Amino acid sequence: MPATPLNRICYVEDDEDIQRIVRMTLERVGKMTVEVVGDPTMAIEAMTAFRPDLVMLDWMMPKMDGPTLFRQMKLRPETSSLPVVFITAKASQHDLEELLRLGAAGAISKPFSPKDLPDQLRAIWAKLP
Amino acid sequence: MDHTPTAIADDAATLSGRSVGSVSASIRDRADPRLVLADRVEQLYSQMWLGILMTFAIGAIASFELWEQRLKELVLLWWFIVLFITASSAGLVIAYRRAPDRATQPEQWLRWLGIAALANGANWGFAGAVFFPSHADEQQVFLAFLLAGMMSAGIPVYAASWPVFAVYGLGIVVPFTYVLANFGNRLFTELALLVPMFYSINVAIAYRLSDVFHSGYRLRRAYGRLTEDYSVLNQRLERQLVELEEARRQVEASGRKLALFAERAPIAVLELDPKGQVTQVNHAAELLFGYASGELLGASSKRLVRPEFHAEFDEKWAQMIASREPVAAIKIRNPRRDGQDLVCEWAVTPLVNPEGTVISVIAQGQDVTQQLEAERMKKEFTSTLSHELRTPLTSIIGSLQLINSGVMGEVDKDIAELTGVAERNGQRLLDLINDILDIEKIESGKLNTVSEVFAVEELVREAMLLNKAFGERFKVRFEAHGDLGGSHVLADRKRLLQVMTNLLSNAAKFSPEGAAVDIAMSTDGWAIRVAVQDRGPGIPEAFRSRIFGRFAQADSTASRAKGGTGLGLAICKRLIEFMQGHIGFDDREGGGTSFWFELPRHEPQIRSR
Repeated sequence: MPATPLNRICYVEDDEDIQRIVRMTLERVGKMTVEVVGDPTMAIEAMTAFRPDLVMLDWMMPKMDGPTLFRQMKLRPETSSLPVVFITAKASQHDLEELLRLGAAGAISKPFSPKDLPDQLRAIWAKLP
Repeated sequence: MDHTPTAIADDAATLSGRSVGSVSASIRDRADPRLVLADRVEQLYSQMWLGILMTFAIGAIASFELWEQRLKELVLLWWFIVLFITASSAGLVIAYRRAPDRATQPEQWLRWLGIAALANGANWGFAGAVFFPSHADEQQVFLAFLLAGMMSAGIPVYAASWPVFAVYGLGIVVPFTYVLANFGNRLFTELALLVPMFYSINVAIAYRLSDVFHSGYRLRRAYGRLTEDYSVLNQRLERQLVELEEARRQVEASGRKLALFAERAPIAVLELDPKGQVTQVNHAAELLFGYASGELLGASSKRLVRPEFHAEFDEKWAQMIASREPVAAIKIRNPRRDGQDLVCEWAVTPLVNPEGTVISVIAQGQDVTQQLEAERMKKEFTSTLSHELRTPLTSIIGSLQLINSGVMGEVDKDIAELTGVAERNGQRLLDLINDILDIEKIESGKLNTVSEVFAVEELVREAMLLNKAFGERFKVRFEAHGDLGGSHVLADRKRLLQVMTNLLSNAAKFSPEGAAVDIAMSTDGWAIRVAVQDRGPGIPEAFRSRIFGRFAQADSTASRAKGGTGLGLAICKRLIEFMQGHIGFDDREGGGTSFWFELPRHEPQIRSR
């Protein structure tokens, strides 16, 4: 379990409505600091600047999907060690296992309950080394 | 049909072998000896009337001639004997004619005939013996002439059987010769020596004649048999010919039927030679690929395969020809004449002759392009349903949950009521989508399950805890009864939890306020059983048969009042059956319904392996 409590979250998601809900939930219910990135091609830059504790990636995005972004993050030293949680509506068991093997910290299925989201993230955070 | 062509050939060979080779040698052997004898006896009896008539007439003339010169009493006696013999013989002939056994008992009738002939002969011998030894006169010449005539007349009459003639002749010759020899006259003594010699010659002639008769009758019988045999054989051949003709017509008819099937079949049928060249094409194939049959006949079947797959096609073709095994359900991309691609599913069957060489190959193809397209669209639709519908629902439910949970601050009571309605219905829509996806996955066999061994009772209690809040909404409490003694099952934990949640929420929805839902757990040697029992209104009779069907709800107003998609039990049934279990329901004593499922127990010794 990391020494510090979970605070800074970077969320890459193209749907503006979901961005808004997640931001509100994490800020108001979870009392966390949230950086939302709408364009996955800008995500690594944003992460480097924001330096989050944990990254949440949407699975399906028009310009670049979550798994691709995740693989790119692994290639960059600034982002390669960041814990990543996938938010997904349709990933198969096989896809998820593959990502967990590649080093994803966890997966939360869509639709998620905003109320419970901070607790779900903290549970994943608590399991990290 | 029981006559194979080989059997017919065998018969023919036997027949021709006989007629060409050994027929004449064996013909006489084919005659039944008893039948031949019966024929001869018949011949003898048929000539008896002549003999009887002549005996009577000659006897009358002789009696008249002797009446004046000889002792009258003796002549009278002799005449009576003649009458007696002719009458007896006539009686014998009549008896023979009427006898039913004359064909089967020829020896018996021949013996009677022999006795009659002996009696007749002996009577003439008696005449010679008693009337001859008087003083010499012309009547001695008359008698000698009479006896010689009677003897020689016997030859044709009795020729069909020489022993009968021999007996008859002996009857005449013995007394006459005795009298001649003892007469004391040189001339008569010489005659006594000649008479037996004449007798012997006559018997020898009768023997020869009899032999000729015998051969004749044997031949007649034998040819009769042969004719019979031939007619039987002819009948058999005729029958076989009819059967063969019938078989030929059947083969022809099924051939026509087969040709019609291929011609009219809605699937493309090609006949190819072992090199892959097209030898026959049906109408459907012409329509499907847009080629006229003339364009395909003689061409390589690779005309219907895209060039980039030719190498692969050649390899598969060689494999099929070598193995001589049919290949089924292979999908090949086939270009039509207009260049457009079709995907066809082919069944390819090599036809092999008895020597094991492939003589031709039948390929039957079905256009599955549209079917594949439909499958692809269905998949796309499912994917859309799962992603495109769930994403906006995430926003809707999420927003409403945030408002309703109060983290955004207090809202007006009326507004809160409305956002509550909106959240519940959003959730219902989401449940419906999830249920439809589940059903679709189960029915298309794409349900991913993760089997693990776990304690069922723990799972039941977890489900009760998770659904406690749901129960409270309907003012219903869950109570567990019995235990499963730590029984384990091998199943998908998440899916079993889904089943339990479904049964518990159903029970809660249909229970009266303040009632308890009883969860009864029991186990026997092989299975565990969990029953969720409510005190609800029960299942209406008309609904029982389709309760596990899709979109099944007893009362459609109930779904609006209580929520639910009508897919829950359908999913439960399919999931439980997926886990090798059973699901069902019973009426509960005292009112209400008990829904139960059973799963096979996982034995510890198997688990430890």
